[in-house]
Amino acid sequence: MSGNLIDGAEIRARRILIIDDEDANVLLLASLLEREGYADIHTITDPTTALEAYVRLEPDLVLLDLMMPEVDGFQLLEAFKRHDRPDEFRPVLILTADSTIAARRRALALGAKDFVSKPFDVIEIALRIANLLETRILYQRLRG
Amino acid sequence: MNRAMPARRMTRFWADRQLALKGLVVIALPLTILLGALVSLYIASNAEVRAENDVRRAFAIQRDTYQVHALLAEAAAGVRGYALTGQERFLEPYRKAEADLPLTMRRLDAAIRDREVRERFNRINELTSRKRDGLKSIVDLARAGNRAAIEPALVSNKIVLDAMRQEIELIQRREGVLLDQRRARVDEVRGRFLLLTAISAVIGLLGSLAAVYLFSTGIVRRVQMLEANAELLARGEELAEMPDDADEIGRLAQRMARASALLRGREQALRESEERFRLVIEEVQDYGIFALDTDGVVTSWNLGAQRIKGWEAEEILGHHFSRFYPEDTRAFLPAQMLDRARRDGTAEDEGWRLRKDGSPFWANVVITALHDDQGELRGFAKVTRDMTERRRSEEALRFAREEAIAANLAKSEFLSRTSHELRTPMSAILGFGQLLELDEDQFEPRHREALSQIMKAGRHLLSLINDLLDISSIEAGGAEVNLEQIDLGELLQEVHGLAAPIVATAGLRFVLEHPEESLVAWADRRRVIQVMLNLVSNAAKYNRTGTLVRLAYQTRGRDIRVEVEDDGEGVVSTEVSRLFTPFDRLGQQNRAKVDGTGLGLALSKRLVESMGGQIGYEAPEQGARFWFTLPTRAPQRASKRKAEQQSL
Repeated sequence: MSGNLIDGAEIRARRILIIDDEDANVLLLASLLEREGYADIHTITDPTTALEAYVRLEPDLVLLDLMMPEVDGFQLLEAFKRHDRPDEFRPVLILTADSTIAARRRALALGAKDFVSKPFDVIEIALRIANLLETRILYQRLRG
Repeated sequence: MNRAMPARRMTRFWADRQLALKGLVVIALPLTILLGALVSLYIASNAEVRAENDVRRAFAIQRDTYQVHALLAEAAAGVRGYALTGQERFLEPYRKAEADLPLTMRRLDAAIRDREVRERFNRINELTSRKRDGLKSIVDLARAGNRAAIEPALVSNKIVLDAMRQEIELIQRREGVLLDQRRARVDEVRGRFLLLTAISAVIGLLGSLAAVYLFSTGIVRRVQMLEANAELLARGEELAEMPDDADEIGRLAQRMARASALLRGREQALRESEERFRLVIEEVQDYGIFALDTDGVVTSWNLGAQRIKGWEAEEILGHHFSRFYPEDTRAFLPAQMLDRARRDGTAEDEGWRLRKDGSPFWANVVITALHDDQGELRGFAKVTRDMTERRRSEEALRFAREEAIAANLAKSEFLSRTSHELRTPMSAILGFGQLLELDEDQFEPRHREALSQIMKAGRHLLSLINDLLDISSIEAGGAEVNLEQIDLGELLQEVHGLAAPIVATAGLRFVLEHPEESLVAWADRRRVIQVMLNLVSNAAKYNRTGTLVRLAYQTRGRDIRVEVEDDGEGVVSTEVSRLFTPFDRLGQQNRAKVDGTGLGLALSKRLVESMGGQIGYEAPEQGARFWFTLPTRAPQRASKRKAEQQSL
């Protein structure tokens, strides 16, 4: 249904930033997105450089792991929120192995738009990513 | 003895009479005696009057006889003078005598009692008549002028008069004798009268004395004793013995004696109870109980106080209680405590106090103000407990609790980290595997088979990890329990829908039995679903000979009981006890055919128990029946607190 509103090519042209300290996960997500046809994919495995990349790249969607050394996902969420304009809709999809309700609530409260526990179903992830990007595009169109 | 007996009997008889009778006797006795004396006085005075009258009569008789003689003598002299001279005036005395004599004679006749005098009087009477006749005849002769006849008549007349004079003298003499006799009688009567008066006075006096004596012995003395006894009774001392007489005073004395005995009995009981109470307080070992006066000076001391504080009673009595306080609080705390006790009636404190040897101990102290009946402050009672041990164990407990909390946090942290560490690689394995599956059609069949095995093993490993982490987090208390009121009818309907495909795949009928009323339980929705799915999928998996899986629920006391039943082979009785043990999958030979981690029932047990319920197994006639309960009431405080801790 979502595909009917927005052209699939426009969605797949959008820039996606993947932040996870696990190489395997980053590779898995990147492989999935490439297979789905996404072209503008950026990955960060060193969370200390994540904010800099976020600011520099201005991605349309962020895939964010919560549990990382030195700088964790919660801190990054706060930083992103501070950086963005209040009326900006830049979705963050949390992908984490910490499936506790506390972690879920905290992340969503800090502005994350969706939350998926690892391990995840790849097809589900692909659908969620497409949905979030579609929402962003619609939002941008509304604001003109 | 024999003589004393009647006397005592008399006294006793008197003592036993009623007070009214005693009063009557005491008043009547002197009155009777007085009356007797008065009567005898009256009689005596009558006798005296009679005697005096006799004397007076004697005098009158003497006087009248003289008068008779005098009247006749003068009449005779007058008649003679008349005879000589013929002059009428000489007849005056004669006429007087003729007039007076009968009167005097009648008087004499009435007065005379003595027989001898009466005889003489009769003779005088006769002589008097003769004399008067003689004188009359002389007078008649003289008138007639017969001088010659006069002279013999005069002579004979003179003889009559002489005889008469003789008689009169005899009467006089006789009356003199009688007068003497009567005088003596008057004296005698008068003497007797005096004696009688004296005797009456003495008897009256004695009677009064007797009355007073009776009154004092019978009444006054005993009333005085009674009064003294009343005084003793008021002072609570033993009463003096009193005779048990039957009159009112005696009865009063007996009642008083009974009251005294009763009072003394009560006093004795009170003293004994006070003594027991004192002994109990003195012997109490675990509490220091002692008294302070209004200034805080120690006035009593018990064994407990001695044991806790170390001072002997004689060492501490008379000292101010501030010496129990350490130096840093001694200056103000004792006074504060007394002020609080004065104001509020009681003051409690917990803190360090000193023993005799200066060592500190942690004390719980209660000071209670003691007031008398008028509300006046009389002092304070102080109860001290040595809480040092309890304080130590409390500290140890607090330390242990803090350690446990820290350990729990560490465990939660560890679980969270383990979860992350195990799931992350699983995420890669399954994720890449899934990616490969998407391109499966490009693979050769053997590669496809290998991929399938990898994915199967990976998913098994993941569910194993999930169950393990679930169990561990429940055991560590780190898993959330969100208890709320749940309509079990709706919930089971949902489970029925969710599990229907599993049951259908196994080729079984899935029956849901609702009770008549809707049932509400306090439970965590997700956990209940997890448990029920587990039980239903077990029933479906292991029921290979039967035809159905039945889901039912009903009220059981304060709980709701949910049952999942199948009509398969059931559980071998020897294995029932191991049903809820982790990794103990029953029927090892079936393992290859049945998917499962071996953790499902163990996890279900922990989930149910975390919601305050129970889980169990029972063997019906055919098949297997698993049940669990959920409470219908709001959770206890403990689990609520647990839930609060977790939500923090």
